[in-house]
Amino acid sequence: MAPSLTRREALGGALAATVLASCGGGDPPPSTGPKPGSGAALLGSLLALERAAVAAFGACAEQLSGRSLEEVRAIRAQERSHARRLDRLIRGLGGEPPPGRSAEEYARSFPRLESAADALRFAEDLKEREVRAYLEALTELPSLELRTQASRICADEGNHLGAIRVLRGLPAAQGPFVTGAL
Amino acid sequence: MAQRSDLELLEDLLARENRLLSAYEAALRRDAIDPAVGELLRDHEREHVRALERTLAGRARNPRAGVTPPELNAALKSRESFGRYAIGLEDETVAAYTEATAAIGRPGLRQPLGSIMCCGAAHVVALRQSLGDRSLVPYPEG
Repeated sequence: MAPSLTRREALGGALAATVLASCGGGDPPPSTGPKPGSGAALLGSLLALERAAVAAFGACAEQLSGRSLEEVRAIRAQERSHARRLDRLIRGLGGEPPPGRSAEEYARSFPRLESAADALRFAEDLKEREVRAYLEALTELPSLELRTQASRICADEGNHLGAIRVLRGLPAAQGPFVTGAL
Repeated sequence: MAQRSDLELLEDLLARENRLLSAYEAALRRDAIDPAVGELLRDHEREHVRALERTLAGRARNPRAGVTPPELNAALKSRESFGRYAIGLEDETVAAYTEATAAIGRPGLRQPLGSIMCCGAAHVVALRQSLGDRSLVPYPEG
C-alpha cells in the first residue's frame, strides 16, 4: 500500500515530541514480570504517553473556554479511559505499569501556553504524536488482542485529532492518510 | 467467528470504501452535502479505494456495486438526513478498520490501514461539524 509515514517538520510537532519524551514517553520498560516480547514494555510506553497527555490537556484547558473547553475536556476524559485500559492490559500480562509523574513534574516540561491558539496548537501536536505512537505499536504488538485494543484507541486518537483541527479552523482530516507525526 | 484471510479483510474494506465513495458522489449530485465538505471526503475515499485496489492487485472478487441501496436514496432527501446516514457509514467503516488493522497478517499493512482508519475517524468529525453537532460525543470526566 502506497502511503508511507513521513516526519512532520513543524516546530510545534518537534516540541510536543520533546515534551512527551521528557514526561515519560521514553521511560524504561518495567524490569520484572512479563516475558520479553509480550508487548508489556510497549504498552508501558503508550501508558506513559497517555498520562502525559492527560496532564497536557489539563494545561491546555486552562487557556480555553466555551466549545473548545468542552471538547478538550471530553478528550481528556477519554485519555484517562485509555490509560486505565492500558494499565489493565499491562497487569494482565503480568507486568507492573510504570509509575506516573506528579502534576508539577509534567507541568514543568510543558511550553508556556499564553492563549487559546497556543493551547490548541500544542494539543494538535500532542495528538499527532499519539496517533503516530499507536500506528507504530500496531506493527509491533505481538497478539491480536493487544493490537485490537491499540487499534481502537488509535481510532479515538484520530477522532480527537480531527476535533482539535476543527477547533483550529482547519479541515478535520489533513489528507486521506492520517499518519500522525513524531 | 472464523478468522478471515487477508484477502477477505481487504475485499471487505474495499467494498466499504466504494460504498462511501458512491454515497458522497450521489450526495454531491443531489446537493445533499455541503460541496466543500463533500468534495474533500469524496476525494479521500477515492484515494482509499485506489490504495486498496493497488494492494489487492486485481484479486478483489467484489467489484464496485452498481445498485444504489434504498437507504441511501432515502438519506439523500436532505443534508441533515444524509449527514446522519454518512456518519453511520463512516462509523461502521472505522469499526471494520479497527478489526482489520489488528487482524491483518502482513505487518507492513497495519500502519497504512490504520492511517485510513484515522482519516475515517476524522471524517466523522467533519460530518458532525457540518450538522452543527459537537465534534466528540460528550464523555463523563473520570
